[in-house]
Amino acid sequence: MASVIGAPAPSTGGGGGNVLKVGKVFRSVVLGVVGLFFLVPIVSSARFSFTGTTRGISFSAYSKLLSDPQFWSTLFLSAKIGLGTVLLTLLLLIPTTVWVHWKAPKIRRVMEALSLLPLVIPSVVITLGVITSFGSLPNIIMGTPVILALEYVILALPYTYRTLDSAVQALDIKTLVEAGQSLGASLRKILWWVLLPNLRSGVLGVVVLAFAFCLGEFAVASLLSFTTFAVYLVQIGQTQASEAIAFSLIALLFTWIPLSVVTVVFSRRSGRRKKGGALLAAAQLTSEVVDLAE
Amino acid sequence: MAVSPANKTDRFAEGFGGVNASEPLLEPSKGGFVRVLRYGTWRRFMGVMPFLLYLGVFLLIPALSVVVDAFRADNGSFTLSNFSVGFSGVYFESFKNSIQLSFFSAVIATVVGLLVALAIVASPGRTLRAVVTAGSGVFANTGGVPLAFSFIATLGNFGLVTELMTKIGFNPYNHGFSLYSVLGLTVVYEYFLIPLMVLIMIPPIDALRKEWVDAASSLGASRVQFWRYVGGPLLAPPLLAGFLVLFTDAFAAYATAAALTSGTIPIVPIQIGSLISGNVLVGHAHLGNALGAGMIGVVLVAALMYGLVQRRASRWLR
Repeated sequence: MASVIGAPAPSTGGGGGNVLKVGKVFRSVVLGVVGLFFLVPIVSSARFSFTGTTRGISFSAYSKLLSDPQFWSTLFLSAKIGLGTVLLTLLLLIPTTVWVHWKAPKIRRVMEALSLLPLVIPSVVITLGVITSFGSLPNIIMGTPVILALEYVILALPYTYRTLDSAVQALDIKTLVEAGQSLGASLRKILWWVLLPNLRSGVLGVVVLAFAFCLGEFAVASLLSFTTFAVYLVQIGQTQASEAIAFSLIALLFTWIPLSVVTVVFSRRSGRRKKGGALLAAAQLTSEVVDLAE
Repeated sequence: MAVSPANKTDRFAEGFGGVNASEPLLEPSKGGFVRVLRYGTWRRFMGVMPFLLYLGVFLLIPALSVVVDAFRADNGSFTLSNFSVGFSGVYFESFKNSIQLSFFSAVIATVVGLLVALAIVASPGRTLRAVVTAGSGVFANTGGVPLAFSFIATLGNFGLVTELMTKIGFNPYNHGFSLYSVLGLTVVYEYFLIPLMVLIMIPPIDALRKEWVDAASSLGASRVQFWRYVGGPLLAPPLLAGFLVLFTDAFAAYATAAALTSGTIPIVPIQIGSLISGNVLVGHAHLGNALGAGMIGVVLVAALMYGLVQRRASRWLR
């Protein structure tokens, strides 16, 4: 978006001149009301999880859920899918991003735009397509959660690609590779001993984002009839609301904490422009791609 | 990784398209272009081939197969009947509901998000700004099942807010509100749409150049005049573009609606979902594909408009 406006102006924490001034009352009212809208559901969930619809505080919602064997088996299944997704993602994206920055920096924007494609195609439609086009594949792929991991790599791409891409960008790949080569190291050795250690935080970001995505994904899993953690949550929600709400709260906290860590770490590293979610990136990128196309 | 000899590295390191006439590296004397294509482009694309292949197999093939099968009758021959069923009756209503839901939730989020972004940029405190930006980044990526349940705890039949409102004599469920309706979904969607709009609008508001603001002020512009002639026209393109992003996001959302209404609310993603789960109409095995193709169509229109807005904006501001 910044490119639309031209050179980004220096951020003036206190607004511009006097025409841009916004009254203090207006500010407090807006931020207060909107802040309330975001806090109340969290507070309500917390209350509901402890009391249900009855009076009195109890932890029964939590303890009941924890003693349900299906809770653990679905969590384990989601974790397995998450692990597979993370490994596949790293295997696919580390060589790709390193290659793009090393040999083909000019197609960096195009690659980033491609990585945002899954945001444009609704996941319900992707699922439908998976059934239509892979329905006849052998059972070992379509009949097992393997297909979920394969598709989650795609669906998490808008988040994972950018994370790794900005981590790689922070390195001077060309110099590192050439230094390694002049010392007689093979490319594989350079990748393993030089680049990967330097990409630690980016790799960690990918692991967190992809794993959190897999734990929370519902649409594809439920439509392909796999009882993953999120699907289980909805199933118990039909009959035991307070249990489902208790775990929604925990699930939310578990996504928010790593997400905010990743947000803070990466915004500090790469400056103001990189802040925000993948959709914002999509917004910025499309403008740049349109610019390119002209 | 392809193993290329070290002495070739620097040639390819210039980047895609970086090989041009000024670089006499690939025997420019004979058929430069073809040679560049052969040695340059292909080698450069080799490294991204696995990625492109993966994207092609697991994203493009499924998406294309949806569109192709939408034109297929049960016996495999070409037909348009999937569409005539898909855009009539209950399915037409679903498209209407989906578009209404996405439109209104995006409009509300656009207005509120703009106000929040304005308030944030105008606030002197750095901490507030940092907290709101980080919070928006997190909330914008919140969605799905947990969001649905936390709103059941809030505005559901026995939710905290419902209870409080009933106590003061206004039970929203007696006044036409239901969390499990299109109206209720609109409220829930704001939870991830507003933060997204805040994130989209902060940079352009930041970028309202200080000189323009100062110039307007020193020329004696009133606040209304500033927004009418300077600020408004500058913020309109990003605002509209942001609206389209939100619209697409709301239009595609499935999990929240499915968890909230147990898959009963008549919006397109839910209808496709129930067709996938086996509620197939006899004689129209590919009806779901037609609905899917319809969704892709709506998203494409939004994307096209987005492109136009951006092009307009960049031409105007260059």
